[in-house]
Amino acid sequence: MPTLRIDQREISVPQGTKVIEAAEKLGIMIPRFCYHPALGSLGACRMCAVKFMEGPVKGVEMSCMVEAADGMVVSTTDPEAMEFRRYVIEWLMLNHPHDCPICDAGGQCLLQDETVSGGHGLRRYQGLKRTFEDQYLGEFVQHEMNRCIHCWRCRRFYQEFAGYFDYGAMQIGNRMYFGRFAPGPLESPFAGNIIDLCPTGVLTDKPSRYKGRRWDLQRGPSLCLHCSLGCNLVGSARYREMIRVEARFHGAVNGYFICDRGRYGFAYANHPDRPRQARVGEEAAPLDQALKTAAQRLGQIRERYGPGAVAAWGSTRSSLETLGMLQWLCQDQGWRGPQFFPQASLARRVKAAVARLDTGMAVSLRDLENADFIVVAGADPVQEAPMLALALRQAARRGATVAVIDPRPVFLPLEYEHLPVSPGDIDLCLNLLSQAARSEEAATGKLEPDAARFYGLLTSTNLEDPLLQERLLALGRKLQDCLRPVIVCNTDMVRETTPARAADQARLLQADKGQAGLFYLLPGPNAYGAALLAGREEVDLLAAMEQGGVKALVVVENDPLGSCPDQERLLRALDNLELLVGLDYLPSATAARSQIFLPTTTVFEKEFSHFINQEGRLQQAVPLHQGGTPIIQVGQGSHPPRTFLDAIPGGEPRPGAGILADLAAALSGEPAPPTAGDLWDYLSGEHEGFSQLASLTASALGEGVHLLPAEAQEPAWSPEPGEKPPEPPAGQLELLLVDQTFGTEELGSYAAPLQKVEEEPHLLLHTDLAADLGLAPGEQVALLLPGGEVTVRLQTAQNMAPGVAIMPRHRRLHWQKTGDGPVWLPPENIKKLSEPL
Amino acid sequence: MGEQVLLLNRQPDRPLSLEEYRQSGGYEALMAAVGKRTPEELRQLVLASGLRGRGGAGFPAGKKWSFIGKGHPRYLIPNTDEMEPGTFKDRVLVNVNPHLVLEGIILSAYAISAAKGIFFIRPSYEMDAELIERELGVAREAGFLGENILGSDFSFDLVVHRSAGRYICGEASAQVNAIMGRRPHPNKEVHMTDAGLWGKPTIVNNVETLACVPAILRKGPDWFKGLARSKDGAGTKLFCVSGRVNRPGCYEMPMGTPFNEILDEAGGMSPGSELKAFLPGGASTSFMPPKFSQVQMDFEPLKETGNRLGTGAIMVFDQNTCLVGATLNLLDYFTRESCGFCTPCREGLPFIRDLLLRLEHGEGKEEFIPMLKQMAHHMFKAYCAFAPGAASPVLGLLHHFEAEIREHISQRQCPFKGK
Repeated sequence: MPTLRIDQREISVPQGTKVIEAAEKLGIMIPRFCYHPALGSLGACRMCAVKFMEGPVKGVEMSCMVEAADGMVVSTTDPEAMEFRRYVIEWLMLNHPHDCPICDAGGQCLLQDETVSGGHGLRRYQGLKRTFEDQYLGEFVQHEMNRCIHCWRCRRFYQEFAGYFDYGAMQIGNRMYFGRFAPGPLESPFAGNIIDLCPTGVLTDKPSRYKGRRWDLQRGPSLCLHCSLGCNLVGSARYREMIRVEARFHGAVNGYFICDRGRYGFAYANHPDRPRQARVGEEAAPLDQALKTAAQRLGQIRERYGPGAVAAWGSTRSSLETLGMLQWLCQDQGWRGPQFFPQASLARRVKAAVARLDTGMAVSLRDLENADFIVVAGADPVQEAPMLALALRQAARRGATVAVIDPRPVFLPLEYEHLPVSPGDIDLCLNLLSQAARSEEAATGKLEPDAARFYGLLTSTNLEDPLLQERLLALGRKLQDCLRPVIVCNTDMVRETTPARAADQARLLQADKGQAGLFYLLPGPNAYGAALLAGREEVDLLAAMEQGGVKALVVVENDPLGSCPDQERLLRALDNLELLVGLDYLPSATAARSQIFLPTTTVFEKEFSHFINQEGRLQQAVPLHQGGTPIIQVGQGSHPPRTFLDAIPGGEPRPGAGILADLAAALSGEPAPPTAGDLWDYLSGEHEGFSQLASLTASALGEGVHLLPAEAQEPAWSPEPGEKPPEPPAGQLELLLVDQTFGTEELGSYAAPLQKVEEEPHLLLHTDLAADLGLAPGEQVALLLPGGEVTVRLQTAQNMAPGVAIMPRHRRLHWQKTGDGPVWLPPENIKKLSEPL
Repeated sequence: MGEQVLLLNRQPDRPLSLEEYRQSGGYEALMAAVGKRTPEELRQLVLASGLRGRGGAGFPAGKKWSFIGKGHPRYLIPNTDEMEPGTFKDRVLVNVNPHLVLEGIILSAYAISAAKGIFFIRPSYEMDAELIERELGVAREAGFLGENILGSDFSFDLVVHRSAGRYICGEASAQVNAIMGRRPHPNKEVHMTDAGLWGKPTIVNNVETLACVPAILRKGPDWFKGLARSKDGAGTKLFCVSGRVNRPGCYEMPMGTPFNEILDEAGGMSPGSELKAFLPGGASTSFMPPKFSQVQMDFEPLKETGNRLGTGAIMVFDQNTCLVGATLNLLDYFTRESCGFCTPCREGLPFIRDLLLRLEHGEGKEEFIPMLKQMAHHMFKAYCAFAPGAASPVLGLLHHFEAEIREHISQRQCPFKGK
């Protein structure tokens, strides 16, 4: 721990700390442009010059380039250093336009701050400013190159940190240009981060352009709900409209960055068709009245058919408050459910995963970056949870081996090994990998008995493809020498056995190496909470509705019509209902079909909400504004922009939990159902996973709390790890319904900026298979599914499993024509309709 | 003229052939070294010889080699980028005696156990690149290059890499980046000797430096030291003389030869010209007025005057040359060639250039002088040695010729216009 003095104050810092960081610990913010904690030191901007008075380094040097050492005496206010810094600012301003009044970075601009603090006020350079032509960089990032001060942050993030190469630096000297070789959309799904990184207005947020200065915005800490990782955000609202989202630092989750889905997905909250008014039948009604009507009708049905005739169906995008209240309501009223997942099989996979996480096994996204061997089983990170791909890249940059076992043509922005096997072979691959990685000690029986027995049970069937088998074994041998392996496993497209198998293998690695991690991806931002609430009991509402046992269904922030894999069957089942009550903030098909509709608020409005991410971390979203229809929508751009009322237009929606609490009160006739504080108490009794909730402080909630148990609910090894999951009938293809970065995720599919960038949905087949079937990429094909035909354009790939057909659950594709579980198809079910475009 | 080591047997119109080179002892050092002496012995001999880098920085070659990392393969990069204005010695050297250069490279590669060499040459030297490529083949056929050189277990081969042509590519770490296809930025975060080209131990040496090695090994370090005329100097130096002299050209003279003797060698000042100033070592050194004409042209004596030997490219200016204009010309070059990586160089040099341009056009103001001084000094806080080099002639101008700047200001025009 070197000890040094900075501006007459002493501080001890860990070995390797740069002087700029040491100063920050003392609260001294040395001016900087190129230095960024996530990107490290560069030494390009020369803004952080300080004077070293005593010690191993002498004179004016860059504080980001010098490591703190014993005996250093540093002055940040030395006249020589200050004069130099003043010149640096003057140089940076030589060509910077004086367009702050029309620049979106105005007021949130590091260059403005440091120009003022550096003391550069009068322009002495009399030459012309150099100018550039700006480029179209896609729908998210606005380019204004004249403002560039060449700090390199964008390029370093884009290429080095994120691993995409279509944006970078060109030319030299002061002609240097940051952009693309030719104008065009940025290819990286992390491109939005260069907006946050840019210290001035070169790269600004396009969708929020000209919508307000930072001080005009209602800003606050929020959470991303567009996958299960739970990245932290800062949200900004103005005039009742969500304006913008930026990354918020979280040391264990997302670091400094977020993906573009998380950055631009928020626009669902401003959707022009968002239902903001309660409705009974076709008639709009005040929320209170609609709520009373709902309670009345539900009460009637309960009386006529018994409590089991009412069922509740929630989803994993609701806050823990809403999920908990729904659970309480069902218990209180004796209703059926709640069901939280669209299919029973998915619920089982998620529960299997969540039950196997504990403090000893679960790793955070940041921990993952320090792993030295990562197996990704049944996941396509960029498509499913983009920030996972960024974490994998950081691990790879530190030397980790990354192996992806997945049927899809997975692309990752890093060096990785991809084994394209069908979902049925993923378990086998994990077994083979474990066997190949077995250490001397393990082989000679030094493992604990349970682990040793599990080893013994692993079968040694080979993969059909000898080449894949060999690559897998080579990876296993590499794994032998690794010390900090992590298994990443998704719960979406994999077999039901796979999440448990991934945990077994991680446990085995832990037994062998003393350290190993387990990282799951779950469907939805609160899937972990939903899985805990769902408990062991299986609920299949679809079957119950079909059998006629359910007469009323309460659907809470859920769109079964958009997510159920067999839409026809669901529609028939809904026809059996006497009452459909919907609560939502999305203009979904289910909301439209509801006989009674109660509008809820989004995560950005009115009240605090909490979500549990896929590693069991409870995090808080703070409300940014009081809700209501955006003024731009109310006023239609005319003047005056607002009408004067005693209530907020469109301000009726309330948090789902509150509506459910009032519903409970109305149903039971008792005035006080559990309110938020008591809800935590209720939840902590409901599942041991929630036991910490009762004693959490407000500040702990604000920072986020790991709810993981010390020991997993299901620590035991799978009894029959050699058991092979169901195989497709000979000659048949397995249809895989998958996610895409843009276009399949529910909330994001209502966000206008994301709709602009989503890819056209394709059916994906292996190149050889397509050729055998006489199909060519680009052709329109008809895919005959159990529930009917899907028309889709064909794409082919070499680097995918041969026996599968892959189709995204895309909002523009009528994909809901299958059932629960794996779907097998004879290849003849894919027919050519037209020539390529 | 003194003993010729590098330009021995220089022919006016053609390079020396392998046979001619061998007649004067060529490749003897290689035959005596490979397999017979250890690389460590070679490094010690070169260290003892006092050979300092001829590319401009003057770092002791033997010392640089002693830092070579443990990893393999190791790379040797003979640097023939030669983008310093006024400098053409490497080109002359390659054209006079390509095999001397090659032998120096092979011996140095042996000394650091390099497996591969990359001959980095600027694109405007295409003819020279072709010459080296041709002579490489000749050397390979003679068994001096390639697998198992001279039957030993030492293998080394050399390829010619044509630069895309930028001044900064001459800087060792930028050069390594350039070879790897990256932006040629200097990189002070890594040590070339540990993690250079493709992350492996790498030595970048100027070809003139490498060409000194055969003679050092053949005749010994003491002989090499004795060649110099300065107290701590060693060897001979190729001086490129340009400007207002009668016979501009490249001359090999003992290290430490006084400037005026080199000027005499170049035929003295041209008729009607009087010495007003000279740049001792290329565009990135400082102007020196005639009072320095006795200065010994070597690293240390020039350092004592506050200047640098640089590449030893001497530019001579006479009484009719406007030094503000000359400095502006140099700054045009440096402003254009800055890699753009760091702020002082990318933005500060154009500012300095703009002030000089205004002075030269008669738009100068008194306050430009302190600004020029401050900015030129601040250039020394840039990332690499490029900006300090670019600032050197400006500082020389300010230090020795401030009166001339003031004439520009008071006369509201360049006093040399129309002369």
